Amino acid sequence: MIGLLLAETPALPLDEAGKYVAGAYVVFLVLIVIYVAIMASKLQRMEKELRELATFAEARADSDQVAPGRGSEGQSISDSLALTGAEEATPDE
Amino acid sequence: MYGKGLRPLSIATVVGITAALSLVFFYAPLDADQGFIQKIFYLHVPLAMVALVGFVIGGVFAIAHLRSGNRKWDAYSYVSIHMSVIFGVAVLITGSIWAKASWGHWWVWDEPTLVSFLIVFLMYATYYPFRYAIEDPERQARYASVFAVTAGAFVPLNFMAVRMAQSLVHPRVFATANGGLPGSMMFTFLVCLAATALLWVTLVKLELTAKSTSGQLKRLRRALDAPASGGGSSRVAPEVS
Repeated sequence: MIGLLLAETPALPLDEAGKYVAGAYVVFLVLIVIYVAIMASKLQRMEKELRELATFAEARADSDQVAPGRGSEGQSISDSLALTGAEEATPDE
Repeated sequence: MYGKGLRPLSIATVVGITAALSLVFFYAPLDADQGFIQKIFYLHVPLAMVALVGFVIGGVFAIAHLRSGNRKWDAYSYVSIHMSVIFGVAVLITGSIWAKASWGHWWVWDEPTLVSFLIVFLMYATYYPFRYAIEDPERQARYASVFAVTAGAFVPLNFMAVRMAQSLVHPRVFATANGGLPGSMMFTFLVCLAATALLWVTLVKLELTAKSTSGQLKRLRRALDAPASGGGSSRVAPEVS
């Protein structure tokens, strides 16, 4: 199907000008790819943070159930993050 | 909910860019003067036009922020300018490639269109250090908005000044007299312009969604980090619309 389509399309005059035109379009593509990669890394960071917050919220809910009325006073997110980090650490790390 | 409608918009953008590239390489005729090099025109000019319009849109959002005091408009203004600066980088690089292929030089300093765009780009490049030099968020947003309005007003003035310069090196191809674009080239150009504008809108929406999600996460972190008050009400502030 694609072969037939390509056979029907006119040949592009890729002489001396071809490299400049290709260069311009590749620059555009590379910029878009870099932007998408940056956004993907941001998304990854947010996902990680969300997972940590979910773990923290669950830990807080558990402690509320154990000692009703006391809440989780004094427990900070950094304590929870340390706990999460310990749980998620792999032998390779 | 900035993410609403992002998927259909992204699909429309992909379809638009595919259609535009197909038209550029398989439909639009070769230019009698420049030949195949002229294909850069369908990328370079729409990028430049969308970037410049994006700067003006950033100024319009900044006016909305100054009038209402709503920080949402400041975020819109920031993201519009941010995306237009990225498009501006693409404009400068593709323009340089085109200049090298056509004129034999990567940059021509006596060409008003090039230099004026560089001035606009450099002006907006100072937006970031200017903005982040101010620590107080309210003042930062207000001063950045004043900058965006002033710079946004400069963009059309700059464009008009260049049009009036009447250079022979950078011919005006949209003129109806003395040989404008033929129909097939104009159609291809308009599709490219629409696809580039769609890409800009999609990326702005994506950036706003990411910023909004990041903000919500920060609020959630603050709310969870605070000691439980036992009041029963949610400590998480309502989502900014």
